[in-house]
Amino acid sequence: MRKRTLQRGLTTFWWATIFFLYLPLVVVMLFSFNASNSAANFTGFSLRWYTRLLGNEQIISAFWNSLVLASVSSVVALAIGSLIGYGMYRHRHRKLGWLIVLIYLPIVLPDIVFGISEMAFFVSIHRYTGLFQPGLGTMIIAHVTFQIPFVALIVYSRLVGLDATLFEAAKDLYATPFKRAVHFLMPTLKPALISAFFLSFTLSIDDFVISFFTAGPESATLPIYIWGAIKKGVSPEINAIATLMIGAVAIAAVFSLMFNRQGRH
Amino acid sequence: MTNPMPAPEVEHSDPLDDTREKDESMPREASSIELKGLRKQFGKDTVALDGVDLTIDAGEFFTLLGPSGCGKTTLLRILAGLEEPDAGKLLIGGKDVTDIPPHRRSVNTVFQSYALFPHLSVRDNLAFGLRMRGESSAERERKVAQVADFIQLGSLVERRVDQLSGGQRQRIALARALVCEPNVLLLDEPLSALDAGLRGQLQVELQRIQKRLGMTFVFVTHDQDEAMVMSDRIAVLDSGIIQQVGTPSEVYEHPVNAFVARFMGHDNLFAIQRSADNWVDTELGRLQLDPAQQRSEQQGWLLIRPETLELGGEVPAGYNRLEGTVKERLYRGSRIEYRLEVNGVTLMAVASNVGQRLHAVGDRVTVSFCPEDLVRVAA
Repeated sequence: MRKRTLQRGLTTFWWATIFFLYLPLVVVMLFSFNASNSAANFTGFSLRWYTRLLGNEQIISAFWNSLVLASVSSVVALAIGSLIGYGMYRHRHRKLGWLIVLIYLPIVLPDIVFGISEMAFFVSIHRYTGLFQPGLGTMIIAHVTFQIPFVALIVYSRLVGLDATLFEAAKDLYATPFKRAVHFLMPTLKPALISAFFLSFTLSIDDFVISFFTAGPESATLPIYIWGAIKKGVSPEINAIATLMIGAVAIAAVFSLMFNRQGRH
Repeated sequence: MTNPMPAPEVEHSDPLDDTREKDESMPREASSIELKGLRKQFGKDTVALDGVDLTIDAGEFFTLLGPSGCGKTTLLRILAGLEEPDAGKLLIGGKDVTDIPPHRRSVNTVFQSYALFPHLSVRDNLAFGLRMRGESSAERERKVAQVADFIQLGSLVERRVDQLSGGQRQRIALARALVCEPNVLLLDEPLSALDAGLRGQLQVELQRIQKRLGMTFVFVTHDQDEAMVMSDRIAVLDSGIIQQVGTPSEVYEHPVNAFVARFMGHDNLFAIQRSADNWVDTELGRLQLDPAQQRSEQQGWLLIRPETLELGGEVPAGYNRLEGTVKERLYRGSRIEYRLEVNGVTLMAVASNVGQRLHAVGDRVTVSFCPEDLVRVAA
């Protein structure tokens, strides 16, 4: 009897979690199709906010900035992060625990601290050298920095999950170091790398705080644009952007999960 | 390179049937192995190999036997090139390969965990070594088909590795190494993960394959029965030192020291208290020895193999004779094991189950054995 009550309680809790997690998203998506610009009454279905988006140059530019930022930073982070992940694996038996903590740190560091530090860093370097003019370039560097630990960890955990004798089997079967990388390491890591890429991409698209502190006047991304626009009130246009972003991130996240799972057979 | 596997056309009977003659189409490139003063240390005070000298003949089925941590796996890994010795030389086929990396040695390994590549199909696993060596795809296809046929798993080549059973993986791992036609094949406890029935079957199969291919096999195991069944010769290792090298019967019947005797499964070891040319004193009492097999060691242990003991019946002239009590009887089907107490000491005896009267617990029995069957063993 008591067990059943407990079970019911847990079920309720589960549905409440789902409700608070996804209902706001559903509301945003629903109102992006609202015919009127009311945020309270749904008066009818319309695509007018979406067509209006296409005519808004600021939005189009922010969209491109977001896309370039996410793609470039993810590719760079993938290259550096996977090398770090492999290095962590190769030297996992050494006593370098504190070094690993250094790599984890950006994951737990509050974004705002990270963003402000990056900004202060870029500004002071810019003052003395003229390099690192705030803009897409600095944003890419900042994004790469916070994406690297995620990539490194995904690659590292995939490698740790492998039977270590596979490396030896490849050596034993006449594979030179280069051929081992091409015919064993890369194909084995492929799902993890794809997964890490999509995770990095999602993190970059999502990010507001770090982008905000490292952006220049011309490099507003979608989140930065939304933040600016929202000061004038939530327009259905914002709902439309949000809906598109939810869609994009959901697709990237699904890909990331799918490839990560595929690698773990 | 010539073909190591019998051509498929001659494959009309059981390919593992070793009643057929040794296949002459294969390369007789089996290599001998020479180890000279090999030393290997891990960390500051773990000595894995403490000066190993050993010669393994070409075409021999050679087993490294010992408890875990005895250095046998380290030795195998040095043969494969996966571990570098701190000192000493390794010659394969007369050539010094001490500093040659694994991918340039004509040596292949069957790993304990099989180490099949999970991202490749069975076919691509089998072809991996050939591909890395740069053989043409036609050549690879021909050899893979041949080896798959040879191990009778041709139907599995399209499968994924995770769709195979343990026994199938084991054979694929073996085939992946064999297809490369190595001069030496190394096997690192390849049967330890299999259940007893399959293990027995594969022991016989491995031995047949080795005899048919005439390849040098170096096999690592901690199981003395497995070692005896399969090997031409066995090296027993302990604490990084080779204790004894010999044929299975030499190592089993004439162990050189107490460690080898115990490791080969002998329980009846009795400290020698006093001895002369033709007798020894032990806790069991004074026993007659065969003076012909007198050894230099005066101290040490006396080994009595349980299967050489005769229980009850007439005692032939010249035989040793003891009186004991049956303390325990284990019925094993084909044989019966008795734990006897003789002069307050435990003595194990094994009798074939061939219809004689079983002795019951508590029975007094006469134990007799031939002096020639007694072996002196160094401490």
